[in-house]
Amino acid sequence: MKYFVTVNGKDHEVELTERLGQLEISVDGASMDLSVADVDGLGQFAVVVDRRAYGVSIEGDTHDGAVCIAGSRYAFEIEDERERAANAAARARGGKGGVVKAVMPGVVVTLLVEVGAEVEEDQPMLILEAMKMQNEIKSPIAGTVEAIFVEAGQAVEGGAKLVSIKAPAEEA
Amino acid sequence: MIKRLLIANRGEIALRVIRTAREMGIESVAIYSDPDRSALHTRFAELAYPLGGSTPAQSYLDVDKVLAAAEATGADAVHPGYGFLAENAGFAERVIAAGLTWVGPPPDAIRGMGDKIGSRQLMRAAGVPIVPGLAEPVADANAAVEAAKDIGYPICLKASAGGGGKGIRIVREESEMASAFTQASAEAQAAFGDGRMYPERYLDNPRHVEIQVMFDAHGNGVHFGERECSIQRRHQKLVEECPSPVITPELREQMGEAALQAGRAVGYQGAGTVEFLYSKGEFFFLEMNTRLQVEHPVTEMVTGVDLVREQLRVASGEPLGYDQSAISMHGWSIEVRINAEDPVAGFLPSTGTISNLRLPGGPWVRIDSALYRGMEVGLNYDPMLAKLIVWGPDRASAIARMTRALQELNVGGVSTGAPAALRVLSEAKFRSGDYDTHFLESLDMSEDVLGLSGVAAAVATVHRWQLARRSALAPTAGRREAWTNRARIQHTRYPLPSSSPGAEPGGNQ
Repeated sequence: MKYFVTVNGKDHEVELTERLGQLEISVDGASMDLSVADVDGLGQFAVVVDRRAYGVSIEGDTHDGAVCIAGSRYAFEIEDERERAANAAARARGGKGGVVKAVMPGVVVTLLVEVGAEVEEDQPMLILEAMKMQNEIKSPIAGTVEAIFVEAGQAVEGGAKLVSIKAPAEEA
Repeated sequence: MIKRLLIANRGEIALRVIRTAREMGIESVAIYSDPDRSALHTRFAELAYPLGGSTPAQSYLDVDKVLAAAEATGADAVHPGYGFLAENAGFAERVIAAGLTWVGPPPDAIRGMGDKIGSRQLMRAAGVPIVPGLAEPVADANAAVEAAKDIGYPICLKASAGGGGKGIRIVREESEMASAFTQASAEAQAAFGDGRMYPERYLDNPRHVEIQVMFDAHGNGVHFGERECSIQRRHQKLVEECPSPVITPELREQMGEAALQAGRAVGYQGAGTVEFLYSKGEFFFLEMNTRLQVEHPVTEMVTGVDLVREQLRVASGEPLGYDQSAISMHGWSIEVRINAEDPVAGFLPSTGTISNLRLPGGPWVRIDSALYRGMEVGLNYDPMLAKLIVWGPDRASAIARMTRALQELNVGGVSTGAPAALRVLSEAKFRSGDYDTHFLESLDMSEDVLGLSGVAAAVATVHRWQLARRSALAPTAGRREAWTNRARIQHTRYPLPSSSPGAEPGGNQ
């Protein structure tokens, strides 16, 4: 079974083959001698790669999480072939532009744009205060503000929708 | 001597004070907000008193509640820690008026140093060198532009009641002034209830070097050398060391003398830190922090002095009992702050529940931590969760030891800045001591230093496969059709078990 894994933005292909009860692993086409043993049922694992030992922790769920090795943190997302096809189709439907989400929980201090306003790429759209710091949330693309999901003074969760930006129609 | 000490704080610093108090035979009183009911400081103190409320304003910042707690628990002294009410002169006055011992400087000294503008005037009068700039707050952005013409760009806009990196903006040209002024002023208004701003010259390639001082009530004062705190981003420190790689014994003596002069000018008592900007052999007074600092452990490791113990002694009226010649520095110490933040995403705050925890150990490794499994990391409180401190006979061995300790550390459930600290320690410029306050911001944190990205991908995938197989082989599985099993193996999400708070009381250490 083939999996597509993104680790800190870098793409890998991992193939797992079960043969006579043994798991054969290949990463980006090269086979890897890897064993992963659960230590405490709480996220600690003993990992051996080609006789090199690592104390590893895994958190998150099995599709989206992070692996920590020797103090470095590797955020991962895993898709198998079917999930990959489904996700690609979903992305295609969304088109360009899209919804800007809060990357962290916080409070909306000021809205700097209105629905219908034209925005440039990197133009600040609102100010989000988190951990007592004011952060400008910028538009990822040039386009039109399609919808605003929050009000000034509103507390938002991480991942909450803030503003939806519509990309200008492609010129023929 | 103090018999029962109320610690008007939370987190690792509350624990830090409790530990020394217990060693001295002083009982400690913890106060706690609703979310901190099972926090370590609440569990480690002899007495714990609930303040109620969940935000800082409803709990640790509520002067009336804190004083009521002191009265109810029969405390005879108050230690404010850092942050919260530590630099609130009004609180200090209330504590003293209630007949309690205040473990901190006199209220007038807090007030004198707390106003950044007033303190600069005081320091100029006392002959302590200061950075060129206006000593008065400016009315608005236009006035700031006018003032900047005399001072020269780049300009640093600062909140006159500020601290902790809030309400500070760097302005490199006139066109940026208006928006920077508005934002910084709003931030200052929100954080301190005072939106006044003042401009000063921004020094390029500056280093942040601070001197630890301690005064008793009998006119004696000593300094404990410097700390180097230049590894910071958005003016928040990440890595600190003692001593500084650039400070010579002669400079240390000059800066120490200037720091003592600064303290004497305001009639200082207790522990304090005088912050200087150091640039090319010159140093300028930045501000004085009239409290114990977050990074005080590096000084303790190198001088062998327990600063909290000294604070409690001099607050009780004891004389220091030694002079400057008794202070010596031995070896090298480094501290890394473990903050809930994501270095790969520009150090944005990270929240969650601590799901697993592995703390480092071994020789000369100290961990001052508030972490336990099941702890909720939210937005109500400071993102600093723990401090990792090491000592070594020289700088190179301290760096190697800190690297090793950081590799052992594992905090699951939130992102921490630890990988960024590891990255800093591996950089040639840091190892040679040639860095300034912009160093951290110049590094690309998304780089894979270990080159284990492929291994991480394989581990995550195998883990997913193992969980799927375990679930498929579970007793209920036999009742399903084979094709159902196959579908479930492929498409079910299996969250990792999250710990329940208090399930394993000893598990946090």
